[in-house]
Amino acid sequence: MRLVAAQLVESRQILPGQWLQSFHAPELATGSRAGQFVHVRTGDYSGLVLRRPFSINTADPATGTVTLHFRTVGRGTEWLTRLREGETLDMLGPLGRPFEVDPRSRNLLLIAGGLGMAGVRMLADEAVRDGRQVTILFGALDASHVYPSSLLPDEVEYVVATDDGSLGHRGYVTELLPEYEAWADQAFACGPQPMLARLARLAAGRRERLGVAKLGRKRGGGKTDPAGSVAARRKAFLQVSMEQTMGCAVGACLGCAVMGVDGPLRVCREGPVFAADEIAWEPVS
Amino acid sequence: MKAKKKVVTSGDVRITAYKPTARTKRRETVRAIKSAIVPITPVSPAAQRARIETGGAAVADLGTTPVGRPTLAERAALDRIDVSVDLAPARGLRLPNPIMVASGTFGYGVEYGEVVDVQKLGGICCKGTTLRPRIGNPPPRVTETPGGMLNSIGLQNPGVAAVIEKYGPIWQGWDVPVIVNVAGESIDDYVEVVRRLDGLPGVAGIELNISCPNVGKGGLQFAIDRDAARSVTAAVRRATELPLLVKLSPNVADVRPIAKAIEDAGADAICAINTLSGLAVSPDRTRAFLGNTFGGLSGPAIKPVALRVVYEVAQVVSIPIIGIGGVTSLDDVLDFMACGAVAVQIGTAIFADPELPVHLADELRSECLRRGLESYRPLVGTALPKRAGAPSVKGVEYRP
Ligand SMILES: Cc1cc2nc3c(=O)[nH]c(=O)nc-3n(C[C@H](O)[C@H](O)[C@H](O)COP(=O)(O)O)c2cc1C
Ligand code: FES
Repeated sequence: MRLVAAQLVESRQILPGQWLQSFHAPELATGSRAGQFVHVRTGDYSGLVLRRPFSINTADPATGTVTLHFRTVGRGTEWLTRLREGETLDMLGPLGRPFEVDPRSRNLLLIAGGLGMAGVRMLADEAVRDGRQVTILFGALDASHVYPSSLLPDEVEYVVATDDGSLGHRGYVTELLPEYEAWADQAFACGPQPMLARLARLAAGRRERLGVAKLGRKRGGGKTDPAGSVAARRKAFLQVSMEQTMGCAVGACLGCAVMGVDGPLRVCREGPVFAADEIAWEPVS
Repeated sequence: MKAKKKVVTSGDVRITAYKPTARTKRRETVRAIKSAIVPITPVSPAAQRARIETGGAAVADLGTTPVGRPTLAERAALDRIDVSVDLAPARGLRLPNPIMVASGTFGYGVEYGEVVDVQKLGGICCKGTTLRPRIGNPPPRVTETPGGMLNSIGLQNPGVAAVIEKYGPIWQGWDVPVIVNVAGESIDDYVEVVRRLDGLPGVAGIELNISCPNVGKGGLQFAIDRDAARSVTAAVRRATELPLLVKLSPNVADVRPIAKAIEDAGADAICAINTLSGLAVSPDRTRAFLGNTFGGLSGPAIKPVALRVVYEVAQVVSIPIIGIGGVTSLDDVLDFMACGAVAVQIGTAIFADPELPVHLADELRSECLRRGLESYRPLVGTALPKRAGAPSVKGVEYRP
């Protein structure tokens, strides 16, 4: 983690109100892992006092670039869209803990809702690089909000669900999970909280439904890894990337808490990636 | 291994891609920029400020302006300027410079470790510490507001025993003074926490956060009740010889009698201010945004309130005052000093610029040099009324 001056290389609107910006920041491009994020300082015009956290959407060590994918939701993100190529942005990062893929997992299921694609996008690159099979389940409001397939690696299977059925499955992306849960060794999700809560509930019942042995169980082992440890997360079927409003993003202010089963967890430090069973999910309606 | 082909369950997904105009032209520009990218030099504080003052227009200067390194002679002159300050002359709490970091925004001093050289800070006020562990308030706990932010952390902390065990040894190895911010629900709570901290190597002082509900008095905050503020200060004073700072709340009708009571009860210094009570509404307007409904407002938005409180308190007490609230620049530091503060704490601004406190200490030295001063002391209290005698503490002036 350090302060990095990232120079804007390219900025384009990939979907209505959604932008993809590419920055030259070699320290971030080489030092980041999928799931981590950066805390970006905006131009302080009349008082935007907080940085904005963004998932590192992709990182390319070869060109020293990272990309951010965001939606314009307020003055900070609007300011970002007006940044011109060649200008620099003050980024703090890489921050947080990454996704933990079990070395034995062959088939990875990535589940994204809307902007949640930014949270899992880099994992697709890492998994393809490591020779794993990747399927991305993506949910959006309608066809006009579907993440362009041209921006995904060729090797992934891309399955779309839209609320109004204008593209792909009609309904929630979570409804696609049962079809893939037997195929997938592990699943990684990012999106709105209700979506993650629904996935967590589905994932909790998976072992019973499939009758599978617990991934990573050692012979004769009754030993359980402490919740939140890398080992425990690697063994989890479902890992989720959570969002929360943030202050410091380094673990100092406790502003980004989400409720875990053992008490509050800092999204910026213990997360943003958690094993689904670390979180005390709100009941889904 | 056989790679799966990219398939889309229905239709051509590319029709959904929003095509920007003049894409090829843009590509060319991008290529030109890529080849022109130069190694990034550190950003000077001046360029940072220019960026803020021009609302980002000067952003292109960032990364190209090299830090103006002082010459050896300049460095020697800067080093001769005394910016140290003793916040508790009777007991000794000497800070290397008057720029501290505020409680709750800098954790226990270790979290920013890789980004900030903590040894260059004037002092560190750690997160509010209570007798027993507290899990804090339900999320969400922070949100940005115009020129500031609201927080409702709810004093989440692992309790004094865990704080001592985990951070005591680290603080002991630091030169920078660490002041432990203490909170409680009863006078006994405060006293017990302070007793455990008393004599601990690595703890340079105590900052009492009295903006907490007093369970013994039906939840009335210590900070808004003169007698409670006096009692808790006096009780803690009896329990420790550590330098004792007491932090005022601005959420009171008249802060002066409370400040005076705290001074009389034996505090070594007064910190002003804690956050202002506020509220934000959820985006769908069906409830309050914060999980705890109410939050504390901080940041530039509260600076005028903080200045007013420091200005008032400076006229009724003679112990040192530490100004807190919305400091983001050297001008803010000088404003607080002009109103009678001998030191400042920086909170919210750290989130945007973690290096700010260290830079401000340097800028203060440069400012003294520029004005031909050997210390910043002549800058303290310059804006206070010049007449003899303190104004009435009865609150008879016009208060909007
Ligand atoms: C996230 C956050 C947590 C805080 N926690 C504490 C605390 O535990 N104890 C305390 O005395 N003040 C706490 N404060 C108040 C600050 O120390 C400071 O008084 C206030 O934020 C005003 O300064 P600023 O405008 O520079 O932020 C907190 C402030 C923030 C923003
Ligand atoms: S944002 Fe400050 S602790 Fe996570």
